[in-house]
Amino acid sequence: MGRIPRDYLVNRLVTLVLTVLIAATIIWIIPRLSPVDPAEIALGRMAAGAGSVANSEEILAQLRANMGIDQPLIVQYLKYISGALVFDFGLSTAAFPTPVSTLILNALPWTMGLMILSLLITFFIGNLLGALMVWDRSPKLVKVAIPAAMVFTSIPPILSGLLLMWIFAAKLQWFPLTGAYSIFVEPGWTWEFVKSVLHHGFLPALSIVVVTFGFWALGMRGLMIGVQGEDYVKLAEAKGLRPRYILYRYMIRNAILPQITAFALKIGLLIAGQVLVERIFAYNGMGKLLYDAILNQDFPVIQGVSYVIILITALSVFLVDLLYPFIDPRIRHEANA
Amino acid sequence: MLDDVTKDKPVLTLKDLSIEFPTPAGVVQAVKTLSLDIHKGRRVGFIGESGSGKTTTALAVMQMLAEPGRISGGTIDLGRTNILELSEEEMRRARLSRVAYIPQGAMNSLNPVMRVQPQMWDGIIAHEGHLDRAELKRRSDAALASVGLPLHTAELYPHELSGGMKQRVCIAMGIILDPELIIADEPTSALDVVTQRQVMQTLKAIQTQIGSGLMLIGHDMGLMAQTVDELAVLKDGELVEHGTVQQILQAPAHPYTKDLISSVPLVGGESFLNPDARADAPKRASSEPLLRFENVRKDYGSVTALHPMSFTLQGDTPQIISIVGQSGSGKSTMGSIMLGFNPPSQGRVLFEGQDVAGMNAAQSLDFRKNVQAVFQDPYACFNPFYRVNHALKFPYKQFGLATSEAATQRAMEEACDAVGLDPDLVLSRYPHQLSGGQRQRLIVARALMLSPKLLIADEPVSMVDASLRASILSNIYDLKDKYGISILYITHDLATAYHVSDYVMVLFKGHVVEAGPPKEVIGAPQHPYTKLLIDSIPWPDLDRSWGDGRTDWDPAKLEAKAARAEAVYRGTVPGFDLIKEATFG
Repeated sequence: MGRIPRDYLVNRLVTLVLTVLIAATIIWIIPRLSPVDPAEIALGRMAAGAGSVANSEEILAQLRANMGIDQPLIVQYLKYISGALVFDFGLSTAAFPTPVSTLILNALPWTMGLMILSLLITFFIGNLLGALMVWDRSPKLVKVAIPAAMVFTSIPPILSGLLLMWIFAAKLQWFPLTGAYSIFVEPGWTWEFVKSVLHHGFLPALSIVVVTFGFWALGMRGLMIGVQGEDYVKLAEAKGLRPRYILYRYMIRNAILPQITAFALKIGLLIAGQVLVERIFAYNGMGKLLYDAILNQDFPVIQGVSYVIILITALSVFLVDLLYPFIDPRIRHEANA
Repeated sequence: MLDDVTKDKPVLTLKDLSIEFPTPAGVVQAVKTLSLDIHKGRRVGFIGESGSGKTTTALAVMQMLAEPGRISGGTIDLGRTNILELSEEEMRRARLSRVAYIPQGAMNSLNPVMRVQPQMWDGIIAHEGHLDRAELKRRSDAALASVGLPLHTAELYPHELSGGMKQRVCIAMGIILDPELIIADEPTSALDVVTQRQVMQTLKAIQTQIGSGLMLIGHDMGLMAQTVDELAVLKDGELVEHGTVQQILQAPAHPYTKDLISSVPLVGGESFLNPDARADAPKRASSEPLLRFENVRKDYGSVTALHPMSFTLQGDTPQIISIVGQSGSGKSTMGSIMLGFNPPSQGRVLFEGQDVAGMNAAQSLDFRKNVQAVFQDPYACFNPFYRVNHALKFPYKQFGLATSEAATQRAMEEACDAVGLDPDLVLSRYPHQLSGGQRQRLIVARALMLSPKLLIADEPVSMVDASLRASILSNIYDLKDKYGISILYITHDLATAYHVSDYVMVLFKGHVVEAGPPKEVIGAPQHPYTKLLIDSIPWPDLDRSWGDGRTDWDPAKLEAKAARAEAVYRGTVPGFDLIKEATFG
């Protein structure tokens, strides 16, 4: 241990690239299985705007050419893959002619901010509560209150979001109803703007935390029950160590290991899971972008967003793979693992 | 004899101690009015079978009884302190500094994500506050040195230590604050005999040096005889006999004590097998030898676990071949190679002329039916969700042996009878409702139902209570004569190998160092390694020294000597040919 062997690093990197490549191919195939023609949708939108469209066949052909969907599939695929490597997913068909990468770049920071914030809070709170549910010295109140709080876990985020919005934004007016920041402040690195962003992000983050902490708490509870019966915890008690020290250094420290892997996997899933939350709060993140793209059959944006989700998931798994031996000394970097 | 040491206040005084476990089915009395003193510098053994209350007593002294256990009567005094009156915080302070606990499962007793050193330091810090690093280092190094561990052990993680080293780390932790009393709960039950002797010598030496009392919990009368001064025999929570180890071994008063002493199989002693159960076994119809090793060798990375080995087991007349050795000798590797779980790195394993590695699906199915296994852990061998009859029925049907439900039922009942179980009692139960001994018998029964030709038994009795070992081994032994099954018995227990086997192979670092009939190999060992193994067995016999006071007991030196010595092969049995290794070392 100590440093990462080169063979291992190369092996993991190859796995990373292959994962992303295969996933990118799948997300390219899936929308093409749909019978809908995006050019027809665009035409329909024009027709709805103008009342009627002349030369519809020609316009349709022109649209297809612009979108690049008139070419043979293999050409489309190769263009897509080579573009994906440099984050070029072409132009959005719905917000034509904005490049997909621009849309994603605008949305990504908002989602990453909201997501990482809420995921970190949930991970911390959920695991701590899960651990306290098992620890035999937790206050009685904690043991009763936590399982009751688990009820929130069964509420779909869309409902908890609406509920929080109704209580804190509509009734109490503590937080704004929608948006990522106030329209009255200029975006930039000013305290005013940061304050506005945090103020706006609070409710969406809370609605995610409230419904997802149970996942971590229940997982941690199961892991803690396993660790609680371990001989090393009994010996720690026999050594006369302080109970709190045993809880942190002997119990949580060991129980949390599988949760860290789950954390890496959750990062990717959360963007998708956030779709509805962002939608209700009109939060201009990746979730909302994906939601709108699906409604509009905007293939390039769907592909672009999915690609970024996959890339982030694969990267976080890659990072955890590299870091794991440092948090669990029993695991070693093995080239053929 | 006990009177001359009772002048001081004992380090531990148990007076009318009663412990009960309230359960929905009623209150279970785990310990009943137990009174006993442990004096400074004395070693007291608590012996009894699982469930006798010995560990419960120890945990009560630590004030660490598992829920819902509680002390229902009596007192526990540690020196002049009545520990039942201590607050939780006062009791925490007493642990380790006044009474240390050395646990049973040393394999899992260390925190896997912490190095050894911080795990020793946190014990000191919890009692004496934050000392400076140099002082902490000095004390942890002194403790490691006192148990004979190299100082770099401090920088290692638990998974980098062997079982014996882990147990010695636990001892080092236990004595780091010079406690008045050390409680050692079966500290060597997971170790092989050679390591067991080393660890017990270490524990004795260090306990003598710091002059503390020792409460040693165990079930092995031999180990007790070689270690303790006084014995307390527990049965069903009652102290049935207490006295010096001499008194108890020479004139046991209670019948249960007599049973405990006689349940230890002795080399050369009377056989525990039933010689009347002879019957003409069915002959095997095949011209090919049953099992053949052709230059089989196994490497794990750069380590050779098994050096090239060749033998032929004809199997026409069934034989029991024992493979004995310490952990790491390659004996379990041999077992898994025979079962085809683990392909050899070199050479071939032939079963009735067929290469085990190159079998097609039908041959493989046939092989699986004909070669059955009994493993060490009877708890892990059953799916906890199915009743026993399902576990027995399933392979029987899977291999196409079942003609009708009634026939299957009959086969199950016969198999249960053969291993001494009442089919009406066990078949409809879930595995967790059965004892370890019953489960291990069921595994033998399950193997028997498939009428295999070869049975591989890897440490089949090392996890069951001593009194059951003999009867389970005689069940296995009977398979040979009644059903004509050849058996490979893999064990570290030389005394049982002596009794059950027709031929013994002693394995040392992947080499066969001595082989021959058990009367010669174990009864009169010639190779230094075999001698070391036999000397390491703790005998329940005070005249037979366990190596105290001898200068040549250092296993490292003996092992070095053993590695240089020539292998000794003598005598043969019909139907088994072991080809001597050409080169050694």
